[in-house]
Amino acid sequence: MSLSRRELLKMGLLAVCGTVIPLSALEILKPEAAASLIRPYSEHKRWAFVVDTTKCVGCGMCVKACKLENEIPFNIDVQRTWVERYVQLKNGDVLIDSPHGARNGYIKNDPQGKEINEAEVAKGIFVPKLCNQCEKPSCVQVCPVGATYKTSDGVVLVDKGWCIGCGYCINNCPYLARFFSPVTNTADKCTFCYHRITKGLNTACMDACAFGARKIGMLNDPNSEVAKIISTERVSVLKPEYGNEPQVFYIGLDAIVR
Amino acid sequence: MSHAWRPVFVVLAVVAAIVVMRVILVPSDFTAKDGDYKYQWHRLSAEQVSKDFTVKHRGRDFCGQCHPNHIEKMKDSGHQNIQCENCHVMYEPAKKSHPINLKEDFGYLLNIGIDRSRELCKRCHAELSYRPKTYTSSKGTEKFKQIDPTKHNPGIECAMCHDVHSAGFKTAAK
Amino acid sequence: MEEHLAHGALWTIKEGFTYPNEYIYWTIHIVVYPYITGLVAGAFVLSSMYHVFGKEELKPVAKFSLVFSFALLLMATSPLMLHLTQVFNSINMILTPHFYSAIAAFTVVYLTYMAIVLAEIWFVFRPYIVEQAKEKKGLLGLLYNAMTLGSFDVSEKALQTDHKIIKILAAVGIPAAAFLHGYVGFIFGSVKTVPLWKTPLMPFIFLMSAIISGVSGCIVTYIVGMSLKRNFICGASIRSMCKVLVWFLVAAIVLEGIDIIFHAYTAEEFWSIMSELLFQRFAFKMLVVQWLIGMILPLILLLLPRLSMLRAFISATLVLIGVFTMRWDVVIGGQSMSKSLAGFLTYDMPIIPHNMESFLEGPIPITVLLIMPLVLLFIFNKVLPVFTEVFNEEDCGFTEGLLSGKDHAKH
Repeated sequence: MSLSRRELLKMGLLAVCGTVIPLSALEILKPEAAASLIRPYSEHKRWAFVVDTTKCVGCGMCVKACKLENEIPFNIDVQRTWVERYVQLKNGDVLIDSPHGARNGYIKNDPQGKEINEAEVAKGIFVPKLCNQCEKPSCVQVCPVGATYKTSDGVVLVDKGWCIGCGYCINNCPYLARFFSPVTNTADKCTFCYHRITKGLNTACMDACAFGARKIGMLNDPNSEVAKIISTERVSVLKPEYGNEPQVFYIGLDAIVR
Repeated sequence: MSHAWRPVFVVLAVVAAIVVMRVILVPSDFTAKDGDYKYQWHRLSAEQVSKDFTVKHRGRDFCGQCHPNHIEKMKDSGHQNIQCENCHVMYEPAKKSHPINLKEDFGYLLNIGIDRSRELCKRCHAELSYRPKTYTSSKGTEKFKQIDPTKHNPGIECAMCHDVHSAGFKTAAK
Repeated sequence: MEEHLAHGALWTIKEGFTYPNEYIYWTIHIVVYPYITGLVAGAFVLSSMYHVFGKEELKPVAKFSLVFSFALLLMATSPLMLHLTQVFNSINMILTPHFYSAIAAFTVVYLTYMAIVLAEIWFVFRPYIVEQAKEKKGLLGLLYNAMTLGSFDVSEKALQTDHKIIKILAAVGIPAAAFLHGYVGFIFGSVKTVPLWKTPLMPFIFLMSAIISGVSGCIVTYIVGMSLKRNFICGASIRSMCKVLVWFLVAAIVLEGIDIIFHAYTAEEFWSIMSELLFQRFAFKMLVVQWLIGMILPLILLLLPRLSMLRAFISATLVLIGVFTMRWDVVIGGQSMSKSLAGFLTYDMPIIPHNMESFLEGPIPITVLLIMPLVLLFIFNKVLPVFTEVFNEEDCGFTEGLLSGKDHAKH
């Protein structure tokens, strides 16, 4: 049999397509998957968080509680939640720090390790941070193997047995909420204490906060305080320009907050 | 059959090997949940793993089982919102000093002890110009007591004079 | 208690305000990965210049650059394997690919390209393989027999078919090679949190630098390989490769220049920190090594009249150094700017290993990895005639005559 160019091309194309498209890729062709391209919003209830920075005193108890609750080694500098300090001086300089994620709290006026005279300070603000459990999490989008995912109730989790440790999700999180776990050596992140909230408990950080600066609850749930605050008060989110639709809402943010 | 087909067969063999490997190795519960391939492509069983993680901070309800007196003392005090673990959990196992083995007897995994250091109290009570000066309790908005640790009895443990549980003075409590 | 560090803390020095979880997570391996795939793509494009565009004067390097491309391709995944913290899970890339992720397509792009290159090598070397399979005995004979894939047909007709297929594969291979590397550029260009990477020009910038590095790699390796075998090197081939190099150098300079000018002109929020990176912290690496030594100087050297073999060799070596520095500047530089835009992270590679992590992240594995393609090429050369004297001096003179004839016709 002689081989015409056309036949060769045809076979070649078939072979290439066969290699190119593993069966899983066909998932994208299912009608419901196609629909999710057009309507990516979930309408049902999902978890959300409110941080009231006007109440935060920078004690760092939340960081401590989180590390112990979630078994993130205390003395290693990675954390699922942390507290940042922004101090603006009267000369206009802005000093920002978060030593060890503030797991030992702020006990001195020493932003970036420099002792500052209280008289020089114009204003200051403590900003607790945690995973924003985005509605459109870029970290999940870029995971090449499906080792991180959003649950139906809106929490982004990591499947540590499936993670290959490429770090693509870590580099794609605008909030730096992700890190490599020193325990499992895989990507790790705040889960909104998924093991607690699904049992009707509060998150560890919220429990540890004596000042009510942190609140967790369900969006679209009329009984939830979080839903009430978000729908009636003036809240803002961090870095909305990335289009991730973060679900941690802040009260009392400032222009100097990053 | 022309020799030119032979590389195509090699390619097909590789593709077949990959397909067979996928059939054998991909977990049966790996799927795009709700048809959402973009954000919910995962092993369904992994969700349960996250849910099954052990709860460690159990707060007043747990501690109150043996220490109801302390819980009672705190109930109306300025420290009413503070969970036991905030002060009593020790992140270094060496500092653990709870007389009963909570781990074996109660399945409580944190290390409990007593931390009397000034550093602990300073986390809230050291005065910073930008630290909020009030807080909210069951009684409404209250004044938040802050001190300058360099001037306020430096070198002395706070618990010398202060009763931590009632958030008052020790003499006053007696 | 043993002192544990977060992954990344060992080689990251933080300054100013950086987020507490912020480290340089993509290190030397990710510098080398685009470097190697770039060489792959460039070498392949060079070999296709002969097969597809019929550039006769490139005939001597066509086979060599094809095999060189394959040797590099074999090593292209190894830096990634070194980079992963869970190497044994890497099979999941094939098992459950998530095609919304730019990385997920890697296996597909890589294997497709591998199939094309392998097939082309097979067709190109088939007559030689068949001949050896008939002649050689023992282990080597077995190897050649296996390599024939059971076909001993080297009739005139069969060879004609081969010739046609080679042309098709070489033609299909160009977009595949361009895609392979443009795609690596896309992986970086699509990371929206890193301002230095996030530009739609990234795939094209990477592609141009890939081709200049690949062509330079071929020039350097070919000259060294042929000289070691004391074979005649045709000046026309080298000059032709240099011509390709010049064109793509110009394209690379234009694209990379536009990128920086655009950032400076639009001066978005991140420009203050980016300009500090470009003009202070990375000024030597970026402006001196990458731009002056790696692009502008070789361009001048190549454009000066009466190009000698030595000058071509030096220019190509400079381009290789320049492109490596460019990969470094992009990968490390991009992550050096804190996402808070208020601090810097400095990459400090652990030179002396004291545990597994510092060994893997150190210079030893990566040096081995960069030498490996040359070792592979050496091995391949034992099996297949890679460094052969296709042109003798007469052929070479004839080709040169043809070339200058063409030039005269144009004038």
